[in-house]
Amino acid sequence: MKTTDIIRRAARSLANAKTRTVLTSLAIGVGAFTITVSLAAGQGAREYAENLINSNVNPQALFIVRDRTITEGGASQAPIRVYDPSTSTTQGIAIKQMTQQDIDTLAARDDLVNVVPTYSPQVQYMTFGGDATKFVADVSTYNATIISGVAAGNLPAQGTDIADNEVVIPESYVQTLIDNKVITSEADLIGKKVVMTAAQSAAATPTADALQAAFANGGEAAVQDLLRPITREFTFTVRAISAKSAEALTSSSSIQIAPNAARAISEFTTKGTEQYQKYIGATAVVKNGIDPQTVKDELAKQEFYAQTAKDLQGVVFTVVNTLQGIVLGFGIIALIASVFGIINTQYISVLERTREIGLMKALGMRGKSVSRLFQFEAAWIGFLGGIIGAAVAIIAGLALNPWITDTLGLSEGTNLLIFQPIPIAIMIIVLIVIAMLAGWFPARKAAKLDPIEALRTE
Amino acid sequence: MIEVKHVTKTYGKKHSTFTALDDVSFSIPSGASVAIVGKSGSGKSTLMHAMSGLDRPESGEILIDGTNILKLKNKAVDRFRSEKIGFIFQAFFVQANETCYDNVALPLEIARISGTARKAQIVDALNIVELGDKVKQKARNLSGGQKQRLAIARAIVNKPSIIFADEPTGNLDSTTGEKVEDLLFGLNKQGGSTLIIVTHDNDLASKCDMQIYIKDGKIERIEGEAPQEGPQDSREDSMHLEGIERLGSDQEGGSEPAGDTQLNEERTKEEE
Repeated sequence: MKTTDIIRRAARSLANAKTRTVLTSLAIGVGAFTITVSLAAGQGAREYAENLINSNVNPQALFIVRDRTITEGGASQAPIRVYDPSTSTTQGIAIKQMTQQDIDTLAARDDLVNVVPTYSPQVQYMTFGGDATKFVADVSTYNATIISGVAAGNLPAQGTDIADNEVVIPESYVQTLIDNKVITSEADLIGKKVVMTAAQSAAATPTADALQAAFANGGEAAVQDLLRPITREFTFTVRAISAKSAEALTSSSSIQIAPNAARAISEFTTKGTEQYQKYIGATAVVKNGIDPQTVKDELAKQEFYAQTAKDLQGVVFTVVNTLQGIVLGFGIIALIASVFGIINTQYISVLERTREIGLMKALGMRGKSVSRLFQFEAAWIGFLGGIIGAAVAIIAGLALNPWITDTLGLSEGTNLLIFQPIPIAIMIIVLIVIAMLAGWFPARKAAKLDPIEALRTE
Repeated sequence: MIEVKHVTKTYGKKHSTFTALDDVSFSIPSGASVAIVGKSGSGKSTLMHAMSGLDRPESGEILIDGTNILKLKNKAVDRFRSEKIGFIFQAFFVQANETCYDNVALPLEIARISGTARKAQIVDALNIVELGDKVKQKARNLSGGQKQRLAIARAIVNKPSIIFADEPTGNLDSTTGEKVEDLLFGLNKQGGSTLIIVTHDNDLASKCDMQIYIKDGKIERIEGEAPQEGPQDSREDSMHLEGIERLGSDQEGGSEPAGDTQLNEERTKEEE
């Protein structure tokens, strides 16, 4: 019997048992639905993450550290170490920091530009536009490789830093400033003076003699003056207000200042301490035309450990893939359950159709063809289940996409469920194959049926 | 030509064996109509199964046109059945959910005949059994007699050389049964295929050229040894007469009109 004829007969006999066919297909459809959704969600999440990283991170950017545990993990339970003046302990985790010498080494390389250490400029308080109210806020280094949206003012092109006396203020500050009557509107903030007051954390402890002398000369007030940390004011002008963005990877809830200014503040505050000119890491940009990965590998030989934009993407993708894998796993479990459904239905179908099978064999149909007939029926069930599952998933996904985007606060036009025809087609083919494998056992029973027994009427 | 030589078939294992066929030998000329007559359990069905290649007796020979089908491999036996044999069963065994067309298409599909070539053959076969207007009807909507005629269409569609009919009228009332009988005998005579009817009905058996009476797996007697193939027309006529004579002699008067109908119908068909 020709394969096309077998397939047509299989389809007809399924059409004659619609309820049974649809119910069996629905079981496989549940699996197909879950798998389609997981494929779509995985694809959507990956595209979203890629979009996020591409719009935030310069693909040529590197984050370089001395301590490989920062980029590679495994920092927990570090063994006790021999004292090393370049190692500092941050919250109980010993990190090998970068020294100014390391930064100079990196800056001297001709494949890197914009080597900026991760300054930690800490200020005590700040005032805006000469207003007396003091505010507390985090200060961070402006990252020229990341472009964020602007709510007011303007920012230089990607790769160019803001001037040393300029700051970028996050949009989230505006309301507080308006509430405190420092400014009247968002645009009002542009061009305002910002004065940051930084304190030297470890001024030299005064000697007992100096304390005694101060007390003798000026009393308690003079002693307090002596013990008061040395402070310095840094003055900036507001250049821009960064907009809140769903696509922003770094939460820029800090005031951003130029690298040189950040350096000035952090060197001032850490002067005389172990932290002076010590950095957790540095950012750098690989010159165009050079593969960041090559630079990364070369740096590793000198015990500099770098993370490329691709590595960052890899980290995000690993998370996405893991989550996708979990959902996919549920889909596969549903499929396994439906396999037994197919075996059961087809087995009953063989028993019900003993006469028909007997007749076909009596008429000279090969056992192989009989077996194929039942396998193709199973294949049709798989195909149908796949189509039902995928169709429901696509319809539901397309209907829910705007709602998901809205709920998660993603930017307009972002779809978290992306349905691609090829993976879905492959899934349906796989389902057909699985269904045929499930149909193998009942099909074999049909093939082995003795026509004389089957056609006995008594 | 079908030659059955010393065929023995036993069922069961060592201690409780049952001999269904015991050294059975006979021969049937091509184109004859033959009745295998016997009671239930006499071995007549087993004989039919053996002759059609469904069953394999352990000893003996079954030569169909000179080929011993007991020596053929399974694949060859399957092909032999799909090409040379037509089956008609007491319980029809038509596929109720399929259309008449698809029911009749089955043997052609099995014989791997292409779809376009099939169509004419199927329509022809359905026309012969007067179901030409029910091509697209589902078999379940047919009456018993129509179902059996559909089964006949299925049996003749691939122009087999031998048609086996197992109690073809057993599930039909006498009027429809007679119509089916007429059809079978008409086809036998016109188409030239050998008709082998398995029955316990002596009336039906008596309409055949040859009767093989079987009892307890042995041949009891063979009646009406059919003559070797002669000119079609003369043979046909002689057989009609024979049939009528038998009807007249063996049956009650009430059956006589049936014989007439048979004759009349066949004549009309010939005219067509």
